[in-house]
This record gives sequence, structure tokens and C-alpha cells, in this order.
Amino acid sequence: MRDLSTTPEGATLTRSQVENEVRSPLIALIGPPNSGKTTLFNRLTGLRQKVANYPGVTVEKYVGQVQCDRERTVELVDLPGVHGFSARTLDEQVTRDVLEGHVEDLPAPDAVVLIVDSTRLESQLMLVEPVLKLEIPTLLVLNMWDELEERGGNLNEMELADLLGVEVVKTNARVGLGVERVKEFLSGVEIRERGLPPPVRVLSNVPRGVPLPMIDVFTARRRHLDKVVDRASFVSPGPSRSTAALDAVFLHRIWGPLVFLAVVVVVFQSIFTWAVPLMDGVELLITSSGEWLASKLADGWFQSLLIDGVWAGVGSVVVFLPQILILFLFLGILEDSGYMARAAVIADRVMYRVGLQGRAFLPLLSGYACAIPAILAARTVENERDRLATIFITPFMTCSARLPVYALLIAAFIPEGRLLGPFLGYRAAVLLGLYGLGIIAAVVTAFLLKRTLLRAQPGSFVMDLPSYRLPSAKSIGLRLLDRSKIFLRRAGRVILAVTIVLWVLTQFPRTDAGPPLIEDSALGRIGQVIEPAIEPLGFDWRIGVGLVTSLAAREVIVGTLGTIYGVEDATNDSITLQETLRRDLTLPAAIGLLVFFAFALQCMSTVAVMRRETGGWKWPALQFCYMLALAYSGAFIAVRIF
Amino acid sequence: MGLTAPKVISGLPKEEADGILRLGDIPLSQMVELVRIDLPAERAEPLLERGVLPGCRICPVRSSPTGDPIISVDGSLLALRRETANCLCVRLLSDVS
Repeated sequence: MRDLSTTPEGATLTRSQVENEVRSPLIALIGPPNSGKTTLFNRLTGLRQKVANYPGVTVEKYVGQVQCDRERTVELVDLPGVHGFSARTLDEQVTRDVLEGHVEDLPAPDAVVLIVDSTRLESQLMLVEPVLKLEIPTLLVLNMWDELEERGGNLNEMELADLLGVEVVKTNARVGLGVERVKEFLSGVEIRERGLPPPVRVLSNVPRGVPLPMIDVFTARRRHLDKVVDRASFVSPGPSRSTAALDAVFLHRIWGPLVFLAVVVVVFQSIFTWAVPLMDGVELLITSSGEWLASKLADGWFQSLLIDGVWAGVGSVVVFLPQILILFLFLGILEDSGYMARAAVIADRVMYRVGLQGRAFLPLLSGYACAIPAILAARTVENERDRLATIFITPFMTCSARLPVYALLIAAFIPEGRLLGPFLGYRAAVLLGLYGLGIIAAVVTAFLLKRTLLRAQPGSFVMDLPSYRLPSAKSIGLRLLDRSKIFLRRAGRVILAVTIVLWVLTQFPRTDAGPPLIEDSALGRIGQVIEPAIEPLGFDWRIGVGLVTSLAAREVIVGTLGTIYGVEDATNDSITLQETLRRDLTLPAAIGLLVFFAFALQCMSTVAVMRRETGGWKWPALQFCYMLALAYSGAFIAVRIF
Repeated sequence: MGLTAPKVISGLPKEEADGILRLGDIPLSQMVELVRIDLPAERAEPLLERGVLPGCRICPVRSSPTGDPIISVDGSLLALRRETANCLCVRLLSDVS
């Protein structure tokens, strides 16, 4: 916030300046993807940044404070990477809205910084002309200058500044060169008099009232730019040798897919296996701190609420952090280094047949470990509809939480025995079948979605392949911090709420001796109420209770069943539980239950994350009902077939 | 010069009059000039935004493992689906730079 008592050069404040003094100047940072925009943003704002959502959409808004000299702070908003101002892409629409001042909680920017990758100057400068139409102070940042010179390119940036009528700065944002000069520009930004936002869109790919086809507009713009760039003595850089060499391997007919497979295996293993000790560590921390807390409190309902309710709820949220962080660390490295684009190209053809994009491959695969980080990771899919379709089908990937349930039921009901010689036994076959069911359901659902609700908007698939670059540790680190904060804040709220509700249901109605037996509790009553509905599937009220508790997390049903059947320590002594189950469930019903778990969305954490990622309850509700219907019908059919 | 209506892709002759070819048929490392984009405006927009415009120089650099072309346009590398590449009409350049 500026000190009201002083102004530059001691000039007196005008009345409108006084009126506007309540905020810091706001500068918009805009540029194409892979131009180093986020690296520059992080360099300028460091930890002083906040991430939220633009109202009503799932595009993220990054706003930060830049500490300029003379104790002056300005606000910087990092806009999504865009190539133009199409009406068809959510990112480009939002960028347009912010720049023109149509967004509610952001004033119209007082200045704009346009950053481009100077090795791709001619195409990236296409943004200059529309941005200049805003008629606000503009700084053009020519990033990756080091790479331009390395590859034999050059440019007279002073001449370019004269020709375009903007200030120009050369930078290498990754190491921080030139960033000081950007700060100088920022510190000189004054708050503009704020008029009304223009009634007609200033920024668009096709200017209003101009009866030219889009291609002519672009061609004319390009011709003009070519002249400008020529007069600024631009020497085009040669091709990047390192990129060509790496692509010869990574996009090789044979080596390419092999490397891709290796990367996929490593990422998958890391979240499936290597995250486990970290998650165990977190769980240990939560349990031991919970016990410590319990010892400090008197016995009673408050202690139970705090420990079994709140603490357990918090724990069930925090335990996901190691997986999320590891996945996002890998994704950050793959994306920033430039490899992700190549991986998307390799996966694209396969995904295209199902109606999805190549970029959806890695997120979907992560769903085999856990849907939560997978859904968050789907942000790499640029097209909004493709992203929605991707996260809609993610819970069909057989996540690791289903495995304890599968293991218990398969061990209890499926006989040992060989199906296919020494290669395949009955038990393994059933497990494989369940994995297959998940994949089939995912593929069919994606297909249906892309034909109906999420019909693809027209647009060709064009993938930028940026040069390979060393990722910036600082940038990735900051982004990991952001991810954790978002996740804990939003998803955590819902998960916590559900855990507490379930706890409450087990506590009432209380008897003189304390909490009721599970049959008599509110939860047990619920089980009995839904029993008629699940009877056609061969389930009784006990399974019903298990289905309700496993809404918190799938594997919870194992413990719940143990409690109901009076088996102590059900997770470690499954033999007794298995025997008990066999008395209560028939084989067809058991298979029905397996199918139910394969299809149903029994994970409030997933619902919470879906809500966060889709900006509302509509999609998670639809997803929940759809998967429940599928689960019910699947179990219904299974019970009758077997 | 402008966008033409979408054509049926199959059944077109390999080389039309005036030496116009389809980008999908161009061999690697052959520099060509874009003449025309056979796509409606909405589908062409992502290409236009990235500098794929009539008059620009394109050079197919390699083929992806799935057979889709990777092209170089003004110093940028772009990956296209072959269906899209077949909608780009190009002309050979006499000097291969």
C-alpha cells in the first residue's frame, strides 16, 4: 500500500488519485504457455502469493505481492498461458475478462507485462497487437534470451521498443537475469483512473465489426509483425541441438514408447509403493499425537469426539499428502523439463479413440494408486471438457483402497485352484476381472460422456513441443506448497465433516453405559432401514452398515464388519472374519459385493475433491448417482448369474 | 485466399493443380510453404494462434511413434494429428534452407 503522504516528485494528489488510494497498483502478467511466465511470477513474488479460483470457474487465480524498492508494493496477477483471445477456450476467456476489468474481485489492471519466449519470437509476438489495444502501460519481456543467443539468434531490442511503442526487457527468468529491470517497471506503475469496463469486447481474435474472416486478421497481423521484427534486425535462432538430440530418443519409434513406459512405471511405483512409508509415518504421527491428547482429557463424549471424530478426520485428510506431493513433484519436473508434451503425443492416439487426450494418460494411471491425486493432476489437460471427462472416469480406476476389500472377499469366497495351468488361479482371475471391469466401465463412460453431455467443442489438436529445459527447483517447490494448501483447505473441510457425522451416528442413542452397540446406534438403524433396498443384492443390514461407513473410505468396511460381527482386530485376524462372513453371505452375493465395490463411488474424499475441481456439487452428485446405479445393477446382475 | 468449406478427406488426388500437396504427404526435412487451411474457422483457430498461417514456412522434422507428424514452424515445434496435417495444403519451396 502506498504511503499517502508522499507522491513521486512531491506532486499534489488529484481527487481521483485520493479516491483510488485504497489499493495497490495491479499489474497483469500475460504470455503464451512455456514462456517462463510462472518462473518470472515466482521470482517476483516468492512466498507472497495466494491462489484461489476465479468466481464461477475452475481456472486458478494467482495473485502475489511484489516488493519494489522505495517500500512500494504492487500486486501482480499471473494469468493463464494463452496464445490468443478466442471465445472457445476457458483460459483465454478468463484472461480477456481480467484484462478488460470484467472480473468482480479484481480491478482492471493498471499495467500489463507481456512475456514471450524469444526463441519463438515471430509467433509469440502475435499477442502484442491485441494487448496494445488496451492502451495501458505495457512491458514486453523477451525471456530465454540466453537460449536465443546460444542458438545464434539476435535482436536489437531498443529498436523493437521504438517500433512497437513499449518498453522492452531481456531476461533469463530461470536464473533471475533482467528481473530487476522488470521490478523497476512495476514500481513505476501508477493507479489509473478507473472508468467503466468497455461494453464491447476489446480483446478478441476476430475484432468486432470487422467483416474479415479470422485467417485474414491473423495474416495481416503477421505481415505487420514480420516487418517490425525485420527492422529490429532479428536473426532467427537455429534449431536447438539438445532438443533435437533428445527428441531423437524420446520420440523414436521404439525407444520413445519404452522411455514412456519406464517413466509411467516409475511414477506409478512411487505413489503406490514408495509413498507408503511416508503415509505410515503420517498415520503414526496422527495416532500417537491422538493418544497423547486422549491421555490429557477426561474420558467422555468430548474426548471421543475430539479423538475419534476430529483427529481421525484430520488424519484421514493429511494422510493423502505424501502421495499428492510425490505425484506433483514428478508432474512438475516432467512438465517444466518439456518431456510431458512428448509423453502426451505418444499417448494421444490411444486416448483419442476413447475421446480423451494424450495428456490425460498419466493422471488416469495415477488413479490406480488413489483417485485423489489423480483428479488433481488432471489439470494438465487443457481442454475443459476433456478434463471433466477425465476426472469423471478416474474413480473407475481400481484404487488401492479397494484392495483390502477385494482381498477379504476373495479369500473368503473364491476357492484356491488353477484356472490356466500354473499361470492363473481362480483368485487371481477374479482380481484381474475386477480390474478389467473398472477399465471397461471407464472407457464406456468416457465414450458416452463425449457423445452426450461433454460433446467436444471444435478445435484441432495442436501440441506445442517446447525446448527441453532444466526445471527450476524454486518454481516447483512453490507450486507444491500451493497444491498442499489448496487440498488441505478445500477437500479437508468436507472429509472432516463426513467423519464427524459418521462418528455422531455411532454415538447415539446413548445408554447408561456409554455409547450404544452398533446394532442399536443411529448408524445401525440406518443399516436396517436400507436393508429392504439392498436385499435383492443378497446383502443384509450388517453389510448395509458397512456400505455406509465405507463412504468415508472404502477399506473402512473391513473394520466395520469386524466390529459388527464382534471380531476383535478384524484387519489382522481375517480368518475368523472370513468364516463369519461365509455364514452370512452366499457366494453370488459376495461376487455382487465385489462388483458393487468395483463400480460405486465410495469415497467422500473423492467427492470432496471432485467438488473442488469442478467448482460445484453438480458433477460429483451426477458421478455419485451414476456410479451407484451402475454398482447396484452390476451387483443385481451378478447375484443372479452366479 | 481464405478458408474453404471442409472437404471430404478421402479420395482426394495426391497432387492437385498448381503443385499443391497435403502436409501429410511431405517427406521429412522438406521445407514447404503453407498455401491454404482446409478447416472451418473454429477448428483452424488453434493453428492460427500458433503462427500456422498461409505464407509461413513449415518443415516436417520427424514422425511420432504413432505416425503423427512433428513440424517446425518459425522456430517452434508443433505436434499435429495426421488428420489435421492432411488439411494443410502446402507448396514445395525450391530452396531447401
